[in-house]
Amino acid sequence: MSEKNYRLVRLLLLIFLGVWLVLIMFPFYFQIITSLKDVAEVNRIEPTFWPEVFVLENYSAIWNEPGNFKSLIDSFIIATANTILSLFFGTLAGYALARFPRQSGGENVAMWILSNRMFPPVAVLLPMFFLFEELFGTTDTHMALIILYLVFNMPLAVWLMMVFFRDVPRELEEAAYVDGHKPFKVFFTITLPLVGPGMIAVAMLCWIFAWNEYLFANMFIGTDVKTFPVVIPSFTSGSQTLWNLVMAFSLVAMIPPVVLFVILRRYMVRGLSLGVVKG
Amino acid sequence: MATGTGEGAPGGGRPVRGAYAVSAATIREWRDDELPDWFKKKRGSARSLIVNRWVPRVMVGVPIAVLLFIVAYPTVQMAYYAFHDINMVSLFKGDYGLIGFTNFERVLTSDRFHGSVLHLAQYLFFGAVLQVVIGTALALILHHCVRNNAARLVILVILVMPMMLPPSIVGVLWRFLFNPSNGAINQALLDIGLIKAHIEWFEIGTSLWTITIADIWEWTSLPFLIVFSGRLGLPPSIYEAARVDGASPFLTLRRITLPMLKEVIAIAFIIRFMDAYKFVDKVYVMTSGGPAQSSELPAYIAYQRGVREFEIGEAAAYAWIIFLFAIVLITLFLRYLKRVLRAQAIA
Repeated sequence: MSEKNYRLVRLLLLIFLGVWLVLIMFPFYFQIITSLKDVAEVNRIEPTFWPEVFVLENYSAIWNEPGNFKSLIDSFIIATANTILSLFFGTLAGYALARFPRQSGGENVAMWILSNRMFPPVAVLLPMFFLFEELFGTTDTHMALIILYLVFNMPLAVWLMMVFFRDVPRELEEAAYVDGHKPFKVFFTITLPLVGPGMIAVAMLCWIFAWNEYLFANMFIGTDVKTFPVVIPSFTSGSQTLWNLVMAFSLVAMIPPVVLFVILRRYMVRGLSLGVVKG
Repeated sequence: MATGTGEGAPGGGRPVRGAYAVSAATIREWRDDELPDWFKKKRGSARSLIVNRWVPRVMVGVPIAVLLFIVAYPTVQMAYYAFHDINMVSLFKGDYGLIGFTNFERVLTSDRFHGSVLHLAQYLFFGAVLQVVIGTALALILHHCVRNNAARLVILVILVMPMMLPPSIVGVLWRFLFNPSNGAINQALLDIGLIKAHIEWFEIGTSLWTITIADIWEWTSLPFLIVFSGRLGLPPSIYEAARVDGASPFLTLRRITLPMLKEVIAIAFIIRFMDAYKFVDKVYVMTSGGPAQSSELPAYIAYQRGVREFEIGEAAAYAWIIFLFAIVLITLFLRYLKRVLRAQAIA
């Protein structure tokens, strides 16, 4: 291929990338400008692509509904508690699978745990619903979701932590044992700090998945506890939808995961690539 | 390394049996008197965490028990439901009978199920496949054509942002954008001059495409991110060698990049494929399967029948059919993953 042809192809590829970027950006752009319009402008027959009047009050108006702020708090509690649990179990099993493959069942057990991540949640919903009704009398609690989100977060945490623990050279631990340190101390002072970046990646992924989850939340909770992925669609079911408020609220709810990703993207990329295949 | 099971001593020794944290090779190098105290204890002794074989078993056992409780138990329970004539009323009265395969028969012979399978096929092909193709292309383009680090970072963040959003909010957002009468998409297309009249995005025949577009928008990010990080992991020295040998960029792509990324792309594809089976939330938020069930997918029907209409027996049959398909896929995927991991351990 000649140099000229190559330049042309390169240009076409860049144009493709540019067009795709525009397509990705457009919904975000429209979401942002809608959140800055007033109600009359949002409901016009011909939508405007630049607000005539900027209304920042939308962002304060969403807090007038007390349920909105509470839904973010509920989401935060559930996501954080679930992340801590997933990470605890993930570290436990991940370490055992990485260091004592024979005692803990090795590859097959690890694969079985991972396979749970791909499990269709529809098969879990109903029996768990009845079970929680029986155990706690209600499913409308933080606890129900914190436990249920383990279905998809714990397998991921176990698998990723196993991969990260394997990367820690065995010799480091052996050296510490030879120096006479107790296993517990070795684990906490040597091994754990070395997998720290990996743990951050796992925590972040789990947190985002739990923060965004819709299906379980839609069925299990709704009166006492509400998470925002359930609250926001419920705004749009009535006849009059205040789209500007919906967009403002969903923008606010988007901030935590996006900020997390921007800050911790390095870990995230690493976590994802290791999560699917090592290397 | 594949699992760490292959910790044999160099020179063909057998791997250690027992819960040692120290490899056989290392042990052989030590003389007896140099071994630490805890190591000399018997294997089953409870005093040392490392030597006791029950510690790793418990460490793995607890999470497995949790998974059995939240995944395996409900699945078995669903099988029980699937073979019973059970719905809201009969469940609370407590009189439901065993009806064998009737639920499965009802599901497998219903037009609703056939329709949803066709929808799923369409969605899989134009959703999952396109996502992986576009995602791979974007990742390679970004890596090859954008050399500036800051620009690369900005583009990466923009391309990944849709994935960070809750699917339900993506559904709401796109329902708003696709609004047939005063939505932004119709207006933008009119302004550009691509269409002459408003497109009815939520009619029979178009609603599934509408969902697919929203899904492509959100989930192209995942294959993109996976392939991009895979491409970052390829050693630059190979590319330097190719350049020195005078290979054209196209040849490099075809003979080096794609073969080396084959596994990564395959895995990204499988992950998207599996997610597609579970895909419910956008259907639920955007169209509720309508109009006239024209955008229903099997998982959505299972959800609808079970959670909304409390036809538990039938929902369970749906769930089990989806589950069986998923098992086939999961098994194939894991077998493939195992092979990839093995190959990498050798390389």
